[in-house]
Amino acid sequence: MIQIYRLSKSFGTNIALHDIGLRIRKGEFVFITGPSGAGKTTLLRHIFGSERPTSGQILIDGINLTRVNKHKLDLLRRKIGFVFQDFKLLNNKTVYQNVALALEVVGERPAIIRKKVHQALRAVDLSKKEKAFPLEVSGGEQQRIAIARAIINDPMILIADEPTGNLDPDITKDIMVLFRSINLRGTTVIIATHSRELLRDTGQRIIVLNQGRIVEEIEG
Amino acid sequence: MRIWLYYFKNAFINMMNNRLIHVISMGTITISILILGSFMLLSINLDNWIKEWGGTLSMSVYLKDGVDEKVMGEIEKQLLNIKGAKIKGFISKDQAMMQLKESLGGQAGLLSGLKNNPLPGSFELIFEDTDDYHIEPDKITASLEKMEGVDEVQYSEQWVERFRGVIFVFRVASLIIGGLLCVAVLFIITNTIKLTIYSRRDEIEIYKLVGATDWFVKIPFLIEGAIQGIISGLIAYLVLLSAYLFLSTKTIQILDLPVIDIIFLTNKNVISIILLSLFLGLMGGLIAIGRFFKV
Repeated sequence: MIQIYRLSKSFGTNIALHDIGLRIRKGEFVFITGPSGAGKTTLLRHIFGSERPTSGQILIDGINLTRVNKHKLDLLRRKIGFVFQDFKLLNNKTVYQNVALALEVVGERPAIIRKKVHQALRAVDLSKKEKAFPLEVSGGEQQRIAIARAIINDPMILIADEPTGNLDPDITKDIMVLFRSINLRGTTVIIATHSRELLRDTGQRIIVLNQGRIVEEIEG
Repeated sequence: MRIWLYYFKNAFINMMNNRLIHVISMGTITISILILGSFMLLSINLDNWIKEWGGTLSMSVYLKDGVDEKVMGEIEKQLLNIKGAKIKGFISKDQAMMQLKESLGGQAGLLSGLKNNPLPGSFELIFEDTDDYHIEPDKITASLEKMEGVDEVQYSEQWVERFRGVIFVFRVASLIIGGLLCVAVLFIITNTIKLTIYSRRDEIEIYKLVGATDWFVKIPFLIEGAIQGIISGLIAYLVLLSAYLFLSTKTIQILDLPVIDIIFLTNKNVISIILLSLFLGLMGGLIAIGRFFKV
């Protein structure tokens, strides 16, 4: 599903990633961890195609991201869901509209949009809040809106960058349960986190980064 | 089709969300287009007046005293051969004297001391449709004055020629000012859209994150530019039309002049103005997304 060969990225003289080699299989659940500045977010951004490597290759489902043109990259992103620590929701749009956005940009029919948005909101247990605005719901609910938006296109990969960083422990648990249920449906899930709590007894594969290098891999 | 509805909806929503900036921008564009339209209107009217006055270009061919009928016949024949010329009439020496007396009114007694009538007889010519071919009154005058029996030729067009020169200068100035105004309009639209792009950069980022193509995000900004242009063009047209209707009636009422025909822009002119506004709006949008759209 995801193959990374000798990936390096420099920002000026600062080396963010150094000689990363990684394979993530279809349907896998992977944690990427490490201290702040280890290169977790940079690695995720490369997998998402929003960063171009200084050297090395990234293949997603057989497509080489370093050679693909911008338009094809946009289309590929529709198969990848991304969840952020800061949710990245549009506060002037309702919960429903935020989730529908991912289908509107692909030109989906309104009837299909309605059906899929309702399904996604049901999956994250937010059916009753579809008319609310993001600032009217809790942090955990905002993250669930973002997850609903990320999974509405049935992505093959779901990437989450510190998805529980702003949430309290109880809500964190709920969100992780949600990620597991998404993974059980066949979606490859990659979560970057520096939270040791989150990694305790996960039973999943853990990749440890430090100063832009993979320093340890713990198989699940 | 559905996707275009979405683009237009997005463009309108964005304009409503940033309405102050759009209203200011459209106001400025309207004023610019209005100035441009006023120049066009003035130019068209000057042309029209020139055409009307040119159409009544008159020429008086004064005859020498004692010209016989045969020579007069020759002159008349020659006059009828001039392109665009029509003989309005022949004023004999006696008629000329009568006209002079009439115009002097109470002072006509001054003429009673004259032993001989000093006024010459004359053919009065008018020229019509000067747009179809170029009339050269100097050449006509020179050739007529060489004829036997012709004393002098006078025509009323010298000032019209001079006026044409003024109009030419006016037109060149209009083109320069018009060009500068178009650049100003482009600058305004580009900057307005630049501001809306900045104000929506988070939204653009999110659209890109969920897989929107560049054009999916860019097209609503282009539509915004086009809407700004077309609305400004339409408002400028309406203001120009109202000003024309108001001023044309006022001129007649206040000055009580024999009506100077003030004409309005033709449909073609109006469509040109609106299309120009639309074009400037689209161009402004294109420049803005080309320069400030980093996704």
